[in-house]
Amino acid sequence: MTAAGAQPTPPGPAGGMSALAGWLGASGVVALLTLATISVRMWVSSATDRLEHPGEKPKVAIADQAEVAYCTPRFKEVLERVLHSCGLAQDETRRGCKPADVKTFASISDSDFNELFTPLKDRGAVILFDEGMQDLDDGAKKLLEDKWFERKGARYFFVVARASKTGNQAKNNALSHRRANSVMYHLTSVANDPEIDKKVGLLWLGNEFAQLSKDYCSWPTSRPNEKCDEEAINRSAFVSWVDCRL
Amino acid sequence: MLGPSSRFHATLALVGSLLGLLFASYSTMDYAEHLDRGLHDVHCSFIPGAPPTSEAEACRAAMYSPYSAFFRESMWGGVPISLFALGAFAFFGGFALYLWLSRERAPKLALGFFAGVGITPLLVSLVMLTISITKLGHLCKTCVGIYISSLLLAVGAVTGLFTLKGEARPRLAFFFPLGWLAALGVTTLVPAVVYASSVPDERPYLGKCGALKQPKMSVGAPLKIHGSRAIQPVMLFEDPLCPTCRAFHERLLDEGVFERLDVELVMFPLDSECNWMLDTPLHPGACIVSKAVLCGGDRTRQVLEWAYDEQVYLTRAGKAGKDVLRAAIKQRWGGDLLKCVDDRKTDVLLNQHLHFASDNAIPVSTPQMYLGSKRVCDEDTDMGLRFMLANLAPEVLK
Repeated sequence: MTAAGAQPTPPGPAGGMSALAGWLGASGVVALLTLATISVRMWVSSATDRLEHPGEKPKVAIADQAEVAYCTPRFKEVLERVLHSCGLAQDETRRGCKPADVKTFASISDSDFNELFTPLKDRGAVILFDEGMQDLDDGAKKLLEDKWFERKGARYFFVVARASKTGNQAKNNALSHRRANSVMYHLTSVANDPEIDKKVGLLWLGNEFAQLSKDYCSWPTSRPNEKCDEEAINRSAFVSWVDCRL
Repeated sequence: MLGPSSRFHATLALVGSLLGLLFASYSTMDYAEHLDRGLHDVHCSFIPGAPPTSEAEACRAAMYSPYSAFFRESMWGGVPISLFALGAFAFFGGFALYLWLSRERAPKLALGFFAGVGITPLLVSLVMLTISITKLGHLCKTCVGIYISSLLLAVGAVTGLFTLKGEARPRLAFFFPLGWLAALGVTTLVPAVVYASSVPDERPYLGKCGALKQPKMSVGAPLKIHGSRAIQPVMLFEDPLCPTCRAFHERLLDEGVFERLDVELVMFPLDSECNWMLDTPLHPGACIVSKAVLCGGDRTRQVLEWAYDEQVYLTRAGKAGKDVLRAAIKQRWGGDLLKCVDDRKTDVLLNQHLHFASDNAIPVSTPQMYLGSKRVCDEDTDMGLRFMLANLAPEVLK
């Protein structure tokens, strides 16, 4: 970049200035290039250091089932006990929980058991049956399907079947069992889900545990236009997805 | 008119060179910073000295694009093109300084040489500008800074020729320009060589971002998109209203990779209307548009690409309300597809896609790419895409 070697040689002072300019220009190139190269080296070294010695990485949300406010430790404890004991969570052959099982595994009073389900009022529904019957009418099927397909992020679907006080305990126990099965049968036919057994928890309580009070008539039912009393509300199966991680 | 002793041209060229050096430094710095595989803010401003920002989608898109670097298959991220600019502007800066100091004593050959090579950054800038407009669809401000610097340099270099009238100038031997050209070549290459020789080996980090626990959906099914020359099965989790997904899709197309993929597509809309994993909608309307994609049938790819192409409009429609979005879908795809969107079965299928994500405990982010069951790290889907493919699925690049 120097002008040395120029021909013809310009006058002395000007030629000297030109050569100096050349040297300064060349120095400028070297300086800028050195600066740029050192910067590149430093940026790469710094990134390499961070790569090899990473600091704490920012936490990333992980996809999971839903977990809502009503999933209190007590609620989850009871659900977990019931789920495990009723053969749902593991690949056991046994399905469902009869009243004695629920009493044993839940270790909870009737009213406390019902209280646990109170937050599910809007999420779930009460499927009503005729006296002594386990057949689902059209309204029951529609409501059951509506609730099933409103799964959102839930993992487990609970069916809690009951019978009213009418009749003896053994008969009601069997009747509530049939009602639970009736719900399960219909779900299986509409869900087209090979893993439905791992999702649905069946409980049948007969008339011996956690009977519903008349207050539950205000919950969504499959027969909203029919008279509802304490007898009618217990001829039922409460169904709901549960938005808790267990 | 410029007199023989005018310094205007040299000043202009010097300013252009130093500005070019600065913008090229920002661009290189941003590139090098990402070698740690993290996500960083990037410089994206016309104002020299402006700090990096997270609101820099255009600059980020340019950085991740296939046109930003060379040798991207053999080196993670490749050798950024800005490194060559860095070296070249250093040379032009020094040469402009020489002309500024020489004034009327600057040899004719020097001014002629400078005019000849001083326009090369502008020519390269014009090529990059064309690529930005036609391929990327937007302009990165830092890149525009380099284009403007190149223009200043070119104008300064060429106007130098107008000072050649008047008194005789020193004459130089013919080999001087050859020497300068060699010096320009060397200075242009030095930063790139230093960069290439010092970048870390990223191979040990590939494919270390987790895996699917249950690679097959037990209930429902992912959507299938077969590339025209599909050879590599992949699973993609995407949200049709997510700008990063759109950019990723465009990158796969630009790189010629998409046609080589046999895609299983899982919809993962980041919209709390259907996705319980979010408290607020990140992309309002994404659930409805995802359902439209699910309803695409044979036209799945077309619906997805329509959603990406119209993403800005659909995002606005999503914020305006469901009916606006539904009307847009009906207008483009007809009433039958909208009927499918409103069908409960489609809700259920979308829910099954979301549960597949939660069953696999994947990160709540999009896009995500899985080769087999192995998750491709986010950074390997953008800057490191070609390098990752060259190492994990080389047949895709053949």
